[in-house]
Amino acid sequence: MLDLFSQGIVNIFTQPTVLLLAVLGVVVGIVVGALPGLTATMGVALLLPITFGMEPVAGLLLLSGVYFGGIYGGSITAILLRTPGTPAAAATAIDGYALTKKGMAGKALTVATISSFTGGTISILILMFLAPILANFALKFSAPESFALALFGISIIASISGTSLIKGLIAGTAGLLVATVGLDPIQGFPRFTGGITDIMNGIPFIPVMIGLFAASEAFKSLEEMNITEKVKTKIQRFMISKADVKKIWPSILRSTGLGTFIGIIPGAGADIAAFVSYNEAKRFSKNKEEYGEGSLEAVAACESGANACTGGALVPLLTLGIPGDSVTAVMLGALMVQGLQPGPMLFKDNGDLVYTLFSGMIICYVAMLIIGLFAARYFAKVVEIPKAILTPVILMLCVVGSYAINNNLFDVLIMLVAGIIGYFMQKFDFPASPVVLAIILGPMVESQFRRALTLSNGNYDIFYTRPITLVLLLLSLLTLLTPIIKKIWQTNKDSKDESVRL
Amino acid sequence: MKKKWVGGLLASVLAVGLIGCSAGTDSASSGSKGASDFPKKQIELIVPFSAGGGTDAVARAFADAAKKHLPKPIGVVNKTGGGGAIGLAEGANAKPDGYKASLVTVELAILPNLGLASFQSDDLKPVAQLNADPSAVTVAADSPWKTLDEFLKYAKENPEKVRIGNAGSGSIWHLSAAALGEETGVKFSHIPFEGAAPAVTSLLGGHLEAVTVSPAEVSSQVAAGKLRMLGVMSDERLEAFKDVPTLKENDIDLSIGTWRGIAVPKDTPQDVVDVLKEASRKTVEEQSFKDVLDKLNLGIEYKDDTGFADTITKDSKRFKELIDKLNLKQ
Repeated sequence: MLDLFSQGIVNIFTQPTVLLLAVLGVVVGIVVGALPGLTATMGVALLLPITFGMEPVAGLLLLSGVYFGGIYGGSITAILLRTPGTPAAAATAIDGYALTKKGMAGKALTVATISSFTGGTISILILMFLAPILANFALKFSAPESFALALFGISIIASISGTSLIKGLIAGTAGLLVATVGLDPIQGFPRFTGGITDIMNGIPFIPVMIGLFAASEAFKSLEEMNITEKVKTKIQRFMISKADVKKIWPSILRSTGLGTFIGIIPGAGADIAAFVSYNEAKRFSKNKEEYGEGSLEAVAACESGANACTGGALVPLLTLGIPGDSVTAVMLGALMVQGLQPGPMLFKDNGDLVYTLFSGMIICYVAMLIIGLFAARYFAKVVEIPKAILTPVILMLCVVGSYAINNNLFDVLIMLVAGIIGYFMQKFDFPASPVVLAIILGPMVESQFRRALTLSNGNYDIFYTRPITLVLLLLSLLTLLTPIIKKIWQTNKDSKDESVRL
Repeated sequence: MKKKWVGGLLASVLAVGLIGCSAGTDSASSGSKGASDFPKKQIELIVPFSAGGGTDAVARAFADAAKKHLPKPIGVVNKTGGGGAIGLAEGANAKPDGYKASLVTVELAILPNLGLASFQSDDLKPVAQLNADPSAVTVAADSPWKTLDEFLKYAKENPEKVRIGNAGSGSIWHLSAAALGEETGVKFSHIPFEGAAPAVTSLLGGHLEAVTVSPAEVSSQVAAGKLRMLGVMSDERLEAFKDVPTLKENDIDLSIGTWRGIAVPKDTPQDVVDVLKEASRKTVEEQSFKDVLDKLNLGIEYKDDTGFADTITKDSKRFKELIDKLNLKQ
């Protein structure tokens, strides 16, 4: 296997055009990812027809580059402008933007780049060496498992609520209510659509996300525009210290594992991976109080988790021919047009090509690391742009981005309404991320729950007789109850202390 | 005050200019022989599904291959949402001049019957059908059913025990499974998924008994020996799956599936339709178009405007009956 891999590296370096296309893909991906509304999925889909005429390796590496760069690129604007370029970056925005406000944008960008690189590269290595073993895991996931995973995702609201748990829960519930709009996922009955075709498939969550995060922030800074800022936001250093590395590497490794695992599961993508990674990083962190206030650990967790998803999602795609997320669904088409049938036969019939592809993917990630670290100091200059210029530009990007998703003006309206709501949420200290998480996961929880019951003919046994489902359900219970148990424990301890003193 | 006056003057000058321009083009087009100068500018092709999917691939392959047969290029625009309803509605409501054509899919005949569309299936004028894919009854390779007869016999003896995955409630694959049930008097349990791919994944994982999606969706798994196709719901056997019998060979008179084609708003002048029809006929013959569809395992099926109109009317009528029977209308 190693010789196939080294042969692959040689193959790539002897074909400069392939190398160039891979790097080009990464650059395009970073740009597409950084722009709100343009997601990695869209970038890959738009470049797909161009690859039809290319050599398989060249075309597929171009798309992989866009995929990897797109997932990473979302973090840049999330950190600098609170404008998540991709859904996965909504988790990064929580602490990334807090770091920027503290003047630590440079460090945050560096950490995001290094974490994305590490997460992505390790996940490709896992794909290379363990794909056939992990593949069958994907098939174990059916409706009850996906339901339990989505429920676990929703329980994360508890840890991303910021200062007030109650406000977080209110925001999350509001998000779940928004998620009920649209066609009933099982019977196809339109709910709360008011006869508007545009929201028949539900309130689209990317415009909501852009509105809640980016537009609301822009509205807020409109308000502050006339206040002449004495303190200019400084970018400080880009280099991270040894202490920082020591602090973030456990959360990078943990999130890489989680991200790869979530990537393998069909129907769960980088967005869920980023939020779950955030949650677990916080659970095991020694510095819990930093989370939400600007934690490098949190940025590292989200970014490594999201990028680790890429290698994970490729596992079922290449070994079974089933896509793990929306990007790999497009890549399935790319493989087939190249005459490569993904599935068990791919490794046997096209072993050389597959390992050349893997080598190329790692080169893509190395390119991403170099470009990211080099360009960070230029990206970060954005923070120094006066608000009077930056704010209108952000608003314009919000409009263009939400239009671009479906080429639909209605989505722009949704973005603006979400922006206004987001503005007042900020005023009254309600966190935005629980809403986004609930809109992403709400439909998944509902449809998988009902699908599971259809599969079992209405029998609820299906939720506790399957081991993966049971474990995930218990995990969500644990996540929900931890804050409460802790509180009780704390008060007990306090009263004991008091009694001792008495 | 003065400013307003100048503004008014400017506006009227502009307006006169515009009228002059449009009059100019009018006389130009009436001067020459009808629509022979169509198209004078780029044609927009609305695709009601997202970039990267099968419908999008057909549209882009068509647009690319049509370059040789039309003086102006075709630009693909994805208008997604509402399970195809938004893009189809936009195409139906477009200006009927041929510059905004639609890539229509079988949803054109389904959505109005479900009560989920703001258009009727005859709001669009068919130009040409490009593709058709039947529904295929597919089971796991390690299942006990080797033939369609065995499968149906088991399903008959165990009503509602056989779970068939489809691509969503009211989707063509749901309707085809339901039609199979109607035709054979078998009661299946229909499980809707968000698209065909998750249904196939669930079948692979052993969580379902069968799926009734298109051959393209299961072809790689069938080739790998993980799934077995028992029958296709087409009139004749498929080129790519020669040894899979049709339902008609099993004495089940059922032929149902998806299709894709080109259409324009219903009031588009016939001479414009003729230009597009002629270009479509030649485009379907292009090797590059055939290659893309072949590689994606999508069936090429060309029909001209009247043939395509027959398909749409026939299917719309049939789906209405099915949807009424299944009580799916919202």
